[in-house]
Amino acid sequence: MMRVSKAYPQNPQALLDISFKVEKGQFIYLLGPNGSGKTTLLKLLYAAEKPTQGKIRVDGFELHRIKSREIPYLRRKLGVVFQDLKLLPRLNAFENVALALEIMRLDKREITKKTWEALQLVGMEHKGNCLPGQLSAGEQQRLAIARAIVNSPLVVLADEPTANIGLHIAEKILKIFAEINLRGATLILATHNEFLPALLPRDKIILESGRIIESSLPLMTPERVG
Amino acid sequence: MGYFWKQAWQNLNQNRWMNAVTLATITLSFIVVGIFLILFLNTQELLKEWQSRMRITAYLSDSLSTNEIKKLQDDLLGLTEVEEVTYRSKEEALKSLAEKLKDKQNLLQGLPRNPLPASLEIRLKPAYQHSAGVHHLVTKLRNFSQITDLQYGVQWIEKLSAFLILFQVLSWSLGGLLAITTIFTISNTMRLKIFARRDEIAIMRFVGATGLFIRAPFYLEGLLQGLGGASLAMLILFLIFRAFLKTIYEPLQSLLGHFPLFFLNGEQIGAVVVAGLILGFLGTQVSVGRFLRVY
Repeated sequence: MMRVSKAYPQNPQALLDISFKVEKGQFIYLLGPNGSGKTTLLKLLYAAEKPTQGKIRVDGFELHRIKSREIPYLRRKLGVVFQDLKLLPRLNAFENVALALEIMRLDKREITKKTWEALQLVGMEHKGNCLPGQLSAGEQQRLAIARAIVNSPLVVLADEPTANIGLHIAEKILKIFAEINLRGATLILATHNEFLPALLPRDKIILESGRIIESSLPLMTPERVG
Repeated sequence: MGYFWKQAWQNLNQNRWMNAVTLATITLSFIVVGIFLILFLNTQELLKEWQSRMRITAYLSDSLSTNEIKKLQDDLLGLTEVEEVTYRSKEEALKSLAEKLKDKQNLLQGLPRNPLPASLEIRLKPAYQHSAGVHHLVTKLRNFSQITDLQYGVQWIEKLSAFLILFQVLSWSLGGLLAITTIFTISNTMRLKIFARRDEIAIMRFVGATGLFIRAPFYLEGLLQGLGGASLAMLILFLIFRAFLKTIYEPLQSLLGHFPLFFLNGEQIGAVVVAGLILGFLGTQVSVGRFLRVY
């Protein structure tokens, strides 16, 4: 991400001059208070928004000039855990996770196998038949993670995955992310919870009012844009 | 494809009431169009039948010899519009009149001589069996001095033709109006469905579903509704038509004449069903194009 800014009519400085590079297999925290620009930054990464200025590259996709028809193929390389989880209430846990594979037109056997593996990884294999409404907040969170990782994405983007859950469950969820990271996925975890890096220390970028105020990542120069 | 069918079927099942109302509206529209179509096609058939019976009677001068009549007959057969020429002598004309008068035949007994002229009955080729064809031929026939008078009843055919054109315009206008209504109904239902499924659509977008993958079930639904509505309309119309024939038309046939009524043929039913599919597609297209965000 190189010199990226994002302006909205009601918020002209949602992001300002953001530059950083995340290497393959890295785990970074995106920290900052509410409204600091974390969600906007993630939205730029999964092409829900385009930057007003600057360049973004994710695994060869130039997101600042990506064509609409290319977006689905970018998103298949990403796994996103949304702040509001976006689970479908009429589908059970298994179907919610399998949805991410059905859109890729995999065969039924493969969908079943991969879905159970993802549920197993987040410790939800015994809740496959439950509707999201029948699950606790922590279980719903884990279900959303299972859906994000089911297609073995290169990059997992998680937006406040430990909001509204206790510290004990948050620790459990962090362990799941660490496991996903160990299996090779790059992880960008946005949170306002400053305790998380203490539980699992990793690189971090701290945002405030749309700017990076602190970063443990190497400084970006135009030659090093990735 | 199996996934799309499953999705489309699930969606149809989920919004049963809304789908039933949409289906009923489409069916009703197609029934109205179907009624107009049946009326139009049957009237057209009737007109064709009458036109095929169209004759021009050319009355001949009494002074013509048999040879002259034969020559005139040959000349007339040489005209492009003429299919057949039948000679009717003065005697045959009188005999025919006597048969028509039945019990009043005595009216003819006091006549000093046969007052009826000999005539040639001219039948037109099918391509000229219309008022313009008749007028064209009549103009040519007037140039034959051997013909003293011409008789041709074309006025009522002209009136019926004009009525048919008016009917056709009316049918097309009504058809167009109902097509717009159908498209509007389908698109409105689709808009509500897109709204109801907006969360699911958003998730599908974010997990990497292509535009086609998201849109396809909606198009399938629209096509199924169009197909279902048109097919149901044809079935209902056929049952109504059969009931009408049995209970109303057949008992009155002796009064109305023996003109058989036709339902739509296979090709026409096929065209109506295809029209249903097209309207289903267009109705979906209107909403999907405007309200469905796929990226």
